[in-house]
Amino acid sequence: MRNKLKYLTFVSLKRKIKTKWFVIANVLLAIGIIGVINIDSIITFFGGDFDKQIKVYVIDDTHETFELLKEQIDTNSITYSEEEQSAYEVILSDQSSDQALNIVEEDKDAYVFVIKSNPETILDVTLVSDGYIDSIDFQLLSTAVNNTKTMLAIQKSNLSQEELNQLYTSVEIKRMYLDETKKSEDENMDMIMTTVFPIIILPFFMLTLFLVQMIGAEVNDEKTTRGMEIIISNVSPKVHFFSKVISGNLFVISQGILLIIYALIGLLIHHIMGGVGVNGILSGEIHEIVTNMMGTEFLSKLLYIIPLAAILMLSTFLSYSLLAGILASMTTNTEDFQQLQTPIMVISLVGYYLAMMAGVFNGALFIRILSYVPFISAILAPSLLVLGQISVLDVLFSICITVITNILLIKYGLKIYKVGILNYSSKDLWKKMIKAIKNK
Amino acid sequence: MLKVENITKYYGNFLAVDHLSFEVKPGEIFGLLGINGAGKTTTFRMIMGLLDANEGTVTLDGKKIDYDVTDQIGFLTEERSLLVKMTVKEQCLYYGILKGMKEKDILERMDVLLAKFGISEYREKKIKELSKGNQQKIQFITAIINQPKLLILDEPFSGLDPFNVELFKQEIIEMAQKGSMIIFSSHRMEHVELFCKKLVILLKGKPVIEGYLSDIKEQYRKKNIFIKGDVSKEELEKIKGVIMVEEHADELEVKIEDNDVVPRVFNQIKKKENITKFVVEEPSLNEIFIAKVGESFEE
Repeated sequence: MRNKLKYLTFVSLKRKIKTKWFVIANVLLAIGIIGVINIDSIITFFGGDFDKQIKVYVIDDTHETFELLKEQIDTNSITYSEEEQSAYEVILSDQSSDQALNIVEEDKDAYVFVIKSNPETILDVTLVSDGYIDSIDFQLLSTAVNNTKTMLAIQKSNLSQEELNQLYTSVEIKRMYLDETKKSEDENMDMIMTTVFPIIILPFFMLTLFLVQMIGAEVNDEKTTRGMEIIISNVSPKVHFFSKVISGNLFVISQGILLIIYALIGLLIHHIMGGVGVNGILSGEIHEIVTNMMGTEFLSKLLYIIPLAAILMLSTFLSYSLLAGILASMTTNTEDFQQLQTPIMVISLVGYYLAMMAGVFNGALFIRILSYVPFISAILAPSLLVLGQISVLDVLFSICITVITNILLIKYGLKIYKVGILNYSSKDLWKKMIKAIKNK
Repeated sequence: MLKVENITKYYGNFLAVDHLSFEVKPGEIFGLLGINGAGKTTTFRMIMGLLDANEGTVTLDGKKIDYDVTDQIGFLTEERSLLVKMTVKEQCLYYGILKGMKEKDILERMDVLLAKFGISEYREKKIKELSKGNQQKIQFITAIINQPKLLILDEPFSGLDPFNVELFKQEIIEMAQKGSMIIFSSHRMEHVELFCKKLVILLKGKPVIEGYLSDIKEQYRKKNIFIKGDVSKEELEKIKGVIMVEEHADELEVKIEDNDVVPRVFNQIKKKENITKFVVEEPSLNEIFIAKVGESFEE
C-alpha cells in the first residue's frame, strides 16, 4: 500500500508538472521576475540612462547663491542615493531670466532655476521644466534651495566657522521606551510592511491559490469521470487522499523554490549587467531603512523569524490542501467546486490584506487574536512578529493551533472524504457529511 | 468462488439491496439484472468493497474482500471511468500498477490486448481524442489487464457496434474458459441470454428470479408458438389457453399459458393447408424479465 501511495503521489505530481500550462506559467513567471529585478537594465537598453546626470541650469541674478546651491544639491544627492556621483549636473547659466524657457526648449530633460533677491523672503526662486518633475527630484531640489537660503542668512549674521559647523550638524534623537522589548528600528517597520513585505508574502498567497485549485481540480476530475471508483477499489480513500495532499504540497514547495531560483537568476544577471544595484530598485527611503536594519538586531531576528514563518507556512499549506481535498470530494461537478473555491480564496485574501495593513492596527487585541486563526496566521503572525507587535510565543501558539487544525481535518475530513468521493448526488449533502463524521 | 451471502444495504431509510445471495464459481458467467435503480451498482460496489453492507458478507475464495483481494478483481463500470487527459499507455499503467502489477507485465499485456481489439495505433494517444467505442475498448482492456480472477462487467457493450460486441464476447468467453468468474450486467437481454448460465433479476433490491437460466425458463411455464401459413389471428385467439396472438411480418406468434395448450393449437392448425412453420419456443429472457419486472421496465 505504501508503494501505491508513492506511485499515486508520483503520478499526481507528474500530471501537474507535465502540463504545457505549467511550463508556460513558469516561463512567464521567470521572465516577469527576472525582468522586474533587471528593470533598470531593460530601461537602459531601450534608451534610458540611469547614470545620466540631470542638468540643472541656474540663472543667478543674486550673484552669490550659485556656489552654495550647487554644493547643497550635490551633497543631498550623494547622501540620498549613496552613489559616488551626484545625480545632477548644476551649471551656472549666463542667460537672462527671461531666457529660461528657451533653455528647457533646447534640452527638454533639463531644469532651470531662476534665482532673484527678495528683501522680504531673501530669495525668490522659480523652477522651470518641460513637464511635471519627479517628486523625489522636487523634494531634493526644494530642500537644497531652503538650505541655501538658510546658509545665506547665516553667512550674513557673521558667525564663526566653529559656530557654523555646530549649526549644520544634525541633531540625533535618542529613543527611550517604557516597554523594554521595543526597539527603535521596529518603528521603521511600518514602511517595510506596507511596501516590501507584500512582495515577500505575495508568492505565499499565490501558491496557496495554486494548491487549492490543483488538489480540488484533480479530485473533482477523478470523481466526475468515475475513475475514482476504479482507483478506490484498489487503494483506500486514505491513501488516495494523502497522495493528493502530498503531491499538492510537493508541487507548491517546488514552485516556491523555482520562484526563488528565478529571483536569484535575476539578481545574478543584474550583477553581471552592472545595473544600478538592488538598492536602486528600492526607493531611497526604504533602502535607507533596510540598510539601517541590516546593521542592527534585525538580522539576528531573521534567524528565528524565517524558520518560524516557514514552519507556519508549510503547516498552513497542509491545512489548505486538506480542506481543498475534503471540499472537492463533496462536489458533484466542476461548477460546484469552482463555487467552493471562492470562500477559501477569500479567507486567504483576508490574511493577505491584514498582513499588509498590520502596522495600522498597532498591536490591537483583535489583530493579535486573528494571528492565531488557522489559514490566515501563516501570513499575519510573521508580519506582526516582524513589527514587534507579537512575541515568538504567540507565533508558536499559532503553529500549535494550525497543527491541531490539521489533525482534526485529517481525523474528521477523512470520514467525509470516504463518503464524499463516491457520492454523486447533491441531495441531502450536508446531512450525509454530518452522518459520515458521526460514524465511528 | 465468489460468495455473496444475504447482503443488505440501506441509504438512510431507503432499502437499496435486500438480503441478496448468490454464488459464482470459476468459469461461470453470472448475470445480475434489473431495471435502473434496482440495486445492481450498489451490489457491485459492495462486492468491490467500496460500500459497506449493513448486513451480510461477500467473500472471494473464502476471504473477505479487502485491498489485498481487489488486486485480483477487474471492474468495468457502466459510466466511463477513464482519466481522459492520460494517454492509453499511461491509463493502462496507472490502473495496472494500482492492481499491484509490474510495469513490464502491464505493457506486454496491454500490447497484446490493443492488438486483439485492433487499436494498437492509439497506444500513445490521449483518451479524450478517442471515439466513444474505442474508449469503451480501453476501459475493457484496463479492467482485464490483470487477468482477473473475478471480473465485474456493468453494461460492457455500451457504445459498441455489432462487430466490436462480437470481439468483447469472444474475450469474455475466453476468460471464463480460463477459469475467471464473471458477473455481467446488461439491459440487453439477448446478450445476457447468450452468456449467462446463472442469473438473478433484482427488483427494488430484492431478487425476484434467480437460478440457472434453463431452470428459470422451465419454471416460466408460458411458451410461444410461431406459425406460418393460412391461419387467422382470430381463430387462434379463441383456443383455450392462448393468452394472445401477435402478428409479425409473415408469421404469427401465439403466446400460450403452458405446454398443455400446444396440442390444442396443433389440432386446430393441422386441419389447415399451406402451413409451412409450426415451432414451439422457450420464452426469451427479455419476456420473462418484462413479465416479472412489469411495466416499470418499459418506462
